[in-house]
Amino acid sequence: MISHARASIIPVAGRGSAMTLSERERERYKRQILLFGEEGQERLKAAHIFIAGAGGLGSPVSIYLAVAGVGTITIVDKDVVDQSNLNRQVLHADRDIGRKKVESAEEKLSAINPDIRVNAIEATIDKSNADRLVRGADGIVDAMDNFPTRYLLNELARKKGIPLFHGAIRGMHGQAMTILPGDFPCLACIFPRAPPAEVFPVVGTTPGIIGTIQANEVIKYLTGTGELLAGRLFLWDGIAARADEIAVERDPGCRVCSGTGPQKRKKEKP
Amino acid sequence: MSIRVRFFARFRELLGNEVIAEPSSPGTSLSGLVRQIAQKNKEGYAAIFDEKGAFREFVIVMRNAKRVDTSEADRVTVADGDEIAVFPPVAGG
Repeated sequence: MISHARASIIPVAGRGSAMTLSERERERYKRQILLFGEEGQERLKAAHIFIAGAGGLGSPVSIYLAVAGVGTITIVDKDVVDQSNLNRQVLHADRDIGRKKVESAEEKLSAINPDIRVNAIEATIDKSNADRLVRGADGIVDAMDNFPTRYLLNELARKKGIPLFHGAIRGMHGQAMTILPGDFPCLACIFPRAPPAEVFPVVGTTPGIIGTIQANEVIKYLTGTGELLAGRLFLWDGIAARADEIAVERDPGCRVCSGTGPQKRKKEKP
Repeated sequence: MSIRVRFFARFRELLGNEVIAEPSSPGTSLSGLVRQIAQKNKEGYAAIFDEKGAFREFVIVMRNAKRVDTSEADRVTVADGDEIAVFPPVAGG
């Protein structure tokens, strides 16, 4: 396992000074302020998290970040809700079939927590728009269903000096890893080649578990709590009901992060 | 000499959770060791290796926290105490 000094990697979330909580927010987040303190909650409020995908992983990620009070959530997806999505994409309901996923997501997340800002954007994330879509975000959540887009987000997170919270699932198996800027392994260090594309089997509990772990990592990162899954690949086996982890080191020959050296977060115009 | 080999995801279903291997001869290669273990299950073997006995392109092999370039695994010799992990990446979301 790679040890790291947390204080040096936790930025003051968001831009400018932390935001003060309203009375209503103090009440809403009362039980987690016991964990993170008001300062931690203010960091969550000041933060902007980009969620790539409003599907199986994006559903639990966005719901848990919304209820935790992450102040700004940008969620991007290109699809409309299909009946076959509903066994796992808990953000969408039967009545949403045929609607844009981002429309459904915006409605649900704003209803769950009207005190946060939700930017729901219908788009296919690609090289031409990724940089613009992610602008101003403090972290990227990988809730995608394909490796080419994951690689793009991995490169972008590295370039911007912000974390990428990786998650992926198949059947009753899943994996998660937090990719921090600096001297930590990136997605391409461990997965240099994409597995073959397929229509993957899945039961909703698998993205439920992995997406919740990703959201938990985001909350920990923003509040400076605990140990992150940095340099540790978390592997979930829902069939055996076992969780394992594999220590991962940076690949000195990695096509994305080798030779770049530790990077610091770059300042961006809001 | 004992080496811990762990399988994950679909490979685990086919080949079991882990094997503490004791290679019979010194100088056993990493791919040779995994091939030897995987042979106990035809489907498990075919999931990891192609017809020529080479690791399939997407298979991830880790040795003591470092990913091994599978095209070079024939030339990597295993050593006492090594921890090997073999797994397929999952891609769904």
